[in-house]
Parts: sequence; C-alpha cells; structure tokens
Amino acid sequence: MTSHAEPSLTFSEDELLGSRKYDEPLIAGGVRCHGGFDEDGRYHSPRTLHRTPAISAWQDQLLRSGHDVIEISRALMPPQYPNVEQAKLLLRHGVRDPMVRSLTIISIVEGFGAVIRDVRVPELAELIVEPIDGTALSHLRHGLFEAHARDEAGYEDEGGHKQMWEAARDLALEHPKIPGDVLMRLMGRRSRAPKRERPFPQLDEKLERMLAMMAQVLVIEVFAEGTFQWGIDVLSDPEVSAEPQAAGDMVRYIQSDESPHVEYLRTALSEVRARTLRTVDGKQIAGCKVVDGLLHDMLHNLTRNRPREQREDVRESMIAAMQDVANPTSLEEEYESLASAWTAPAQTGFEPSSAA
Amino acid sequence: MKPWTRIRRSALVARTVARLWLIYKVPVYTRRLLGRPALKGPELDPTHERAAKVVLATALAMRGVIIKSCQFIATRSDVFPPAFIEELKQLHDAVPAKPFAVVKETIEQELGRPIPEVFAALDEQPVAAASLAQVHLGRLHDGREVAVKVQYPDIEEIIQLDIRNMKRACRVYERFEPQPLPLMPLLNEMTKHIGFELDFLREADSADRVRELFKDDDGVKVPEIHREWSTRRVLVMEKVGGMKITDAAALKAAGIDPADVVQDLMAVWVRMIMGAGFFQADPHPGNLFVTKDRQLVLLDFGLSKELPEGFGLGIFELMFSMMTRSEAAMIRAFQELGFRTKTGDTSHFVQIARRMLDRSETGRFEGEFTEEMTDEMFDAVREDPLVAIPSDFVLVGRSFGMLSGIAHTLGARANVLQAMGGG
Ligand SMILES: Nc1ncnc2c1ncn2[C@@H]1O[C@H](COP(=O)(O)OP(=O)(O)OP(=O)(O)O)[C@@H](O)[C@H]1O
Ligand SMILES: [Fe+2]
Ligand SMILES: [Fe+2]
Repeated sequence: MTSHAEPSLTFSEDELLGSRKYDEPLIAGGVRCHGGFDEDGRYHSPRTLHRTPAISAWQDQLLRSGHDVIEISRALMPPQYPNVEQAKLLLRHGVRDPMVRSLTIISIVEGFGAVIRDVRVPELAELIVEPIDGTALSHLRHGLFEAHARDEAGYEDEGGHKQMWEAARDLALEHPKIPGDVLMRLMGRRSRAPKRERPFPQLDEKLERMLAMMAQVLVIEVFAEGTFQWGIDVLSDPEVSAEPQAAGDMVRYIQSDESPHVEYLRTALSEVRARTLRTVDGKQIAGCKVVDGLLHDMLHNLTRNRPREQREDVRESMIAAMQDVANPTSLEEEYESLASAWTAPAQTGFEPSSAA
Repeated sequence: MKPWTRIRRSALVARTVARLWLIYKVPVYTRRLLGRPALKGPELDPTHERAAKVVLATALAMRGVIIKSCQFIATRSDVFPPAFIEELKQLHDAVPAKPFAVVKETIEQELGRPIPEVFAALDEQPVAAASLAQVHLGRLHDGREVAVKVQYPDIEEIIQLDIRNMKRACRVYERFEPQPLPLMPLLNEMTKHIGFELDFLREADSADRVRELFKDDDGVKVPEIHREWSTRRVLVMEKVGGMKITDAAALKAAGIDPADVVQDLMAVWVRMIMGAGFFQADPHPGNLFVTKDRQLVLLDFGLSKELPEGFGLGIFELMFSMMTRSEAAMIRAFQELGFRTKTGDTSHFVQIARRMLDRSETGRFEGEFTEEMTDEMFDAVREDPLVAIPSDFVLVGRSFGMLSGIAHTLGARANVLQAMGGG
C-alpha cells in the first residue's frame, strides 16, 4: 500500500484514528487506557499507526517547498513550581496535599485538552489563497483534532491522559484523599473577562479563533514537556514514591503520546505561515504575519505575568500546608533555599519585526 | 393568630385536598366504569394543569407556607410533573402586597423605634412582594439608599399551622393513593428550608459569605447588609440596581456584549458550586442585575446551600464522563454524588445519562446542562422509582438549567467546562 517514492498525503479519519494491534493493553489503576505494548514490551502510543507517518509526510512536503517548520524555544518554558527538589522535600516531610493537588490539577487540565474537538473549523479552502490539499490543515477536522481530544480525555471506556495522570498519582502516593479545594485552585483568581480585542479583525472570525486556539495549545503542549520531566523525576524517586517504576513509566507513556500533538500543530501552523489569507474586506494578508503575531502574544503573556502570579498563588498554599509539621519554620527555610531563579528571555522569537 | 383564622386556613386546605381528589380520581373511576384504559404520562397533562390551578388559587388566598411549598415544588422537578410546575411558576410575580400600615408595624416592632428614627425616607409602595416578605426602598439618615425586606406578620405561626395541615393531608393522601409520591420526606425537607428562609440573619450570613468569596473581583456585587438595622424579620440592605440580565437590548445599548455577561455569570456560579461548595441556589432573572460597567449584581440569598465536600469534583467528573461517553466513569460519578438504585443495578445511571445526551442539540455533551437536559434527567428519575437522587444535586442541576435558560435568552451558551477554564 505504501510506495517508497510517493508517500501518501491524504488520509481518512478512520486511518488517523487507527492504532496498531497491541500484544498487551495498558491498564492503569484498574482502568483500561489507550495505547499498549508490543511483543518486546515496548509502549506504543494510540492512534499513531497512520498519524505519525502522515505528519512526517506533511512536514517533508513543507520543507521541500522551501518553508520552515516553526520552533518554539525551550528557553521560554517557565520552570515548574514547586521544582523537583522542593516537591521531594515536602513529600519526605509528609506534606502531601500540595503534590496531590498539583497532580490532580494536571490530570484535569489534560482532560480539558478535549475541547479542541469543539473548535469550529471554517471552510479553509475558501479563506486561504493557495491550495491546501494533502496538508495537515485539511485534516484538522477529519481526524487530527479528534485524535488529540481522545488522547487527552480518553474515549468511551478507554482512559486517556486524564486517567493516566490519576493513576500515576494513585500509584505513587497510594490513593490519597483529594483536597477539597482542587477545583478552586484550578480556577485560580478570577478577574472579569476583559473586553475581547480581536488581534486580526480583518480575518474571518472563526478562522482567527481557530488559529489563536491552535497557537495557544501548541505553546501549552511545548511547555508541558517541563511538567512531564518534573513528574518523572519526582514520581520515580523511591524515597517519595510508593511505586517508582510504575508511576514514572506512566508519565513516560503520556510524554511519548504528546509528541504527535506538538508535531501536527506546528506543521499546520507552518502551513498557514507559508500561505496567504483572504480578509473579509476582499484583501489579503500574509499567513506568517498572523501566525507569528498570535504566537508572539501568546508567548509574551504566558512568560511574563502568568508564571509569577501562579507561583504566588501556589506558594501561599505550600506554606499553609507546611504548618502541620513539627518545625514549620526550618522546613520553610529549606524549601525557599531550593527555589530556582528564572527570568523570561527578552525575545519570543516571533517578534512583529521578524514577520516578513 | 385569631381562632377563626386558624379554622379558615384549615378549612381551605381541606377543601383543596378534596378538589384535588376529584380532579385526579373522578376521571379514573369514570374511565373504569366506561371500560377505558387509564390515562398515562403526557395524557395527564391537562389534569395536572387543572390541579395546579386549584393549588395556585389556594396558595394565593393563604400566602405563607402554601406559596412557599408551591415554590418548593417548582424546585423539585424530579418529583412533580412539568405541567404542575409550569402553572406554579406564576407565583413568582403574582403575590399581592400587604398595606404599608402592616409593614410599618413590623419594622417598628422589630427595630424597637419609630420608622423616622432609622429612615430619612421609606417608600410606602413596595418594589416587590414575595411569599414571606415584601421589599420597600428607602434612605438612611446618612444618605445611603437602602432596600428593606420586611417579613409578613404572623407568618411564622401561619407556617407552623400550614405545615401541620399539610402533613395531615399528606397522611390521608398516602393512605388512599396506591403509589404515592414521596411527599412526607419532601415536606420535612421543606420545613427545614422555610425555617432557614424565615431567618433573615441567616440570609445576611449567606450574603456575606458570597460577598467574601468575590471580594477581589470587582465584577461581582452583593449588596452590603446594614446589620445594625437587621433582625430575623427585617433585612436592611444597600440598594442596588441595574439592567435586567435578560434585557439584551438594554445591555447592547450600554455597549455590553451579552455573551460577555453570560461568561461572567457562568464563571460566578461555577466558582460557587464547583469551587467554594456554597452557592446561591436560585439564579432566576429577577435576582440578577447588570450595571452599566458590566458588574453582575446578585440578590436574594434566602435559598443558599452548602454542598458536601467533594461534590463539585463529583459534578465535574459526571460532566467529564458524559463528554467522553465513558460509562464506567458515569456510574462512578453518579455514585460519588450520592445517587442510589434500590436494586443496586447501576445500568439505570447509564440510561439516565444517555437520555440526557439525546436531548443535547448535537447529541454530544460539550459542557452545558441545558434546561432540556436537566428536565430530561428529572423525568428519567421520576419515571424510574428505583433511582434516588440527592436533593443537593436537584438544586445544582436546577441552577445550571436556569443559567442555561438565561444564556439562551441572550443568544449564548452556558458552558460549565469552559467557565472552569477549559476553553
Ligand atoms: N438590595 C436591593 N436593592 C434593590 N432591590 C432589591 C434589593 N433586594 C431585593 N430587591 C427587590 O426585591 C425583589 C425581591 O427580593 P428577594 O428576591 O430578596 O425576595 P424573596 O422574598 O426572597 O423573593 P422570592 O421568595 O420570590 O425569591 C427583588 O427581585 C428586587 O427586585
Ligand atoms: Fe496530554
Ligand atoms: Fe497534548
């Protein structure tokens, strides 16, 4: 079916949602999860049988025609708070609530990833000047968003990342009681939704919203790499984890499942960058201007104020949680001494001037 | 209370019960005599409607507990038929006010001084009259504008009598009806609720609690309570106002996008229900205003509810399982929320969720509990006597349904998952 000379660029939805046959399914915390193992015991991510080669083929095509695939600098990734050493310190002292809360929030946020399937996709062929046949763009609504949604939230009785993070938490921390305030923490501070300013009012509104959503999810997915490493480091430490091997592996499986998400999103956004968009008033605008503008705003916001605000909120609850130990002051001091310093790089790499 | 009042009220209840009996039972016997099958389901709607009209008339004649119980019935759509509830909804506006002399007497008795000592001005015409109280606008001597909620005199004794009468009627009903609605437990629950609502200091506490929750959020307003002039029966509050939340034209004229208002509204209720576990459980449009600078004003904390720990997370998990169509997770979530089946057969839960999903516009659950979906859920529970639903869930489901109703009036959607930050 696959010819070596011309890899296919067009896939059906069923193909993009298709998984290989597993020798053994992944069972996490009693829940059948997606993905599974081959006869050598190697883990294979779900829905990648055709999705992974498809994404490579679309990327190759883009590169062959002389365009880049965008890259988000890992230097922009804010550090995890609390960091690995701080998290381990707390667990060693029996302060578990903050960790339980963090892991639960991560699982919920992963689950929320499913809203990507509700993104309304406009008629792209009408809004983009150049043809889009055989691109990631033309497959968003026909398998790519749906596969992403199922990976994050699970589908029917097969768990996804939400359930896998819960399993990792329950393995490492032995089915802890979930603090009553997780959802409150998840929602964070509320301020009135600001009056929405459209960054590109000349664009079709659905298109603008879809591209903004994709840019946001791409950034979140890239930054999540830090979360995975943190999860692996903490949960596979036998000093603080009841099941270091199983819990750490669980996060590794999640990590490997994420790679197609980053890849299809950066491919599709790069395809837009390489094209021209029609505006509602009959004019045209370069795709790179739109995509770079959206990414710049997103990265700027996520690296400036958000990390500090989140840090302050979380720190408060950390300190509160430490008050039950024998000597809270010395624990607090040790905790603070382990803090990692970080300042956001000056450039996002998508500065308005860099857009051609 | 004068003895003849007592007799008259008891007689009214007795007569109402008798009329209900006629409305429901005479057709049954007639049909039986004529050899026709008994009416079922929607065929009974006209009967329910007529019955509700009788109850409504009695309620208006009696005020107090009967009105309150009708309002309560309207909050228990899991037990009572929709036709019944539609008719009783009118009670929200239909109550005639008491003359000012009566109000004046209550205020002066409660505050222990003549009205002019406390108020520089007090309107004789109420702005609203409800089941237990009416509201008058006025001004304090320092110039601050206030709204004064004044309980009807005698209401507490009247209610006690009414509850006794209703319990009596209820026992008669349970004796004669082969498949009675579970009225007695409801009556007990209602007695507790009314007791809470009669204590305005408790309402003041609830208002304070919600105000505290949003103290850093200048987009939410809960009127201040003037504690020095408030008692169990008189509540003196900061006067607030604004546009009616469902008045899309007014909102637009003020440069406010109704979709933003819906987003604010949802964020506020989701924060109360899912976050704080304490919420104003009566978000009908009469209790909500929007100011010119898009502040959301919340009124009426008489029906506020504390949820058990973990309830918010349970609701979230239920929505999530419906979104992903995970039946195992649905069953777990229903159980965590306190749903029970008499036989222990959990497939009932999956049936309920399926029926709800079928009522959503897209056939999928995207995070909104529409009125259609909550109605469907209550229908499902009512039709399946094997399933017991926790009363907290009824209040939450009903609130989400009401919010969804407001959202639709404004041409938007009341997406709970999105309001939590998932979109
Ligand atoms: N602080 C206030 N400022 C201005 N108007 C108010 C204020 N409080 C109440 N009102 C008016 O009075 C009406 C009734 O008040 P409220 O809802 O508190 O009474 P209630 O007896 O609990 O009503 P119900 O039993 O019908 O729910 C409100 O809809 C509003 O129009
Ligand atoms: Fe994920
Ligand atoms: Fe992802």
